[in-house]
Amino acid sequence: MIIDWYTVMFQIINFLVLVFLLRRFLYGPIIEMMEAREIKIAQREEAAATKASEAEQKAHDYQEKVASLQNRDEELLAEAKRKAENERRMLLEATRSEVDEIRERWRQEVYREQESFINEMRGQVGRQACLIARHCLQDLADIKLESMIWEVFLQKLELLLQEEETLLLKAFLQGKRLVITSSFEPTEERLESISKLLAERFKQSVQLAQQTNTKLICGVELEIGGYRVAWNVDEYLEGVEKDILGYLYQSQKEGLPDAEAEL
Amino acid sequence: MNISPDEITVLQFSWFHINATIFVTWIIMVLLVVGSWLVTRKLTSEGPLSREQNLLEVLVSAIDNQIKEVGGHTSEPYLPFIGTLFIFIAVANILSVVPGYIPPTSSLSTTTALAISVFIAVPVFGIAKHGIKLYAKQYLEPTFFMLPFNIIGEISRTLALAVRLYGNIMSGSIIVAILLTITPLFFPVILQVLGLLTGLIQAYIFAILAMVYIASASKTHQNTEDKGE
Repeated sequence: MIIDWYTVMFQIINFLVLVFLLRRFLYGPIIEMMEAREIKIAQREEAAATKASEAEQKAHDYQEKVASLQNRDEELLAEAKRKAENERRMLLEATRSEVDEIRERWRQEVYREQESFINEMRGQVGRQACLIARHCLQDLADIKLESMIWEVFLQKLELLLQEEETLLLKAFLQGKRLVITSSFEPTEERLESISKLLAERFKQSVQLAQQTNTKLICGVELEIGGYRVAWNVDEYLEGVEKDILGYLYQSQKEGLPDAEAEL
Repeated sequence: MNISPDEITVLQFSWFHINATIFVTWIIMVLLVVGSWLVTRKLTSEGPLSREQNLLEVLVSAIDNQIKEVGGHTSEPYLPFIGTLFIFIAVANILSVVPGYIPPTSSLSTTTALAISVFIAVPVFGIAKHGIKLYAKQYLEPTFFMLPFNIIGEISRTLALAVRLYGNIMSGSIIVAILLTITPLFFPVILQVLGLLTGLIQAYIFAILAMVYIASASKTHQNTEDKGE
């Protein structure tokens, strides 16, 4: 175990030289390179982290956008549904009112037709009833009835009201012609009795024009200047017809709710 | 049989002679420096790394980590010194698989030289870091009377450092040489393999111990500073 100090000195120098050389050619470059790589990795990590945060932010933004779009979609859909519902209601309402209108029109038309038919029928019934009565009276009319008619007419003339008499006199004084119309040919006596009665009333002689009209059913009529004094069954029949028609119209009005209900 | 490669003279110019220890050391130095230069001249920090670069990076980062584990968070000032100790001793020992190779670490002169380097490096690093006063103060710890013992401790551990490495490597070489004469076929191979392991372990021990000495000096100063504050 000998220490050669000469060698020791050499080895110390060798070692120090080796330290210097390895520092120059090994540790320096390697450490430098590793540090450079670490810096680059750190930069990349930082960039990656930045990008990740950016991506996260973008994802968040997109999520928000998607959410807002979904909300908007829902709002639009709800709006569209509401509008469609309103439109449907309006159309339904319009259709309903149109249908109601058409139905009302149709109902009124039917009602009018029905009314006109019923009116026509009622008129026909009334007229036919009166016609039958007239025919009956014409068939039954004879001299006895004629004389009674003249009697009744004379009584009516006698019982003329003051106003009616004044009107007749006024027309007579204006020179109007007195016309007596009857359904039967009057006798001279009857004409004379009427002339006499009128002369008494007018306090002057009168001239009667006579004519026959079979349409006057069992009746006599005195006419001067538009004024008329008459008695005939036709008047009564007209009254009866009026009453019948009135009654029929009344029953028609009463039957109207039923008709509407039927519609 | 030569016990030490110091006794083998390779070149002789009057008083200046180069023995096998120095010569082999130079060869190792050339191998290390040229190898490092060849690899580090085309280093890259991006893309796929070459296998050589990868190997050196692994090696350097491993040494770096070891220094950090022992010496604290910073390794920069110690890396060239400790790293060179480890690499030089490891390469010198591993090359003993080459037939006819005599490891320079089997010379007590080499190990002494390395131990003296450590012995000098400890105060150099300590003083460089904390100044001479604080460094010198540790020899007076815990009391003034401990100064001689502290100095003896410094010297003895340096001696132990030198002798440990020398003893292990030299003994390995000698045992292999002896076994070659007795059982030349099988046992020398096993002992060579064991010698590789021993060589690497010794390199590691030497480097770590050196770092521990340097670090302990620094930490002692730090403790002293802390107390002073």
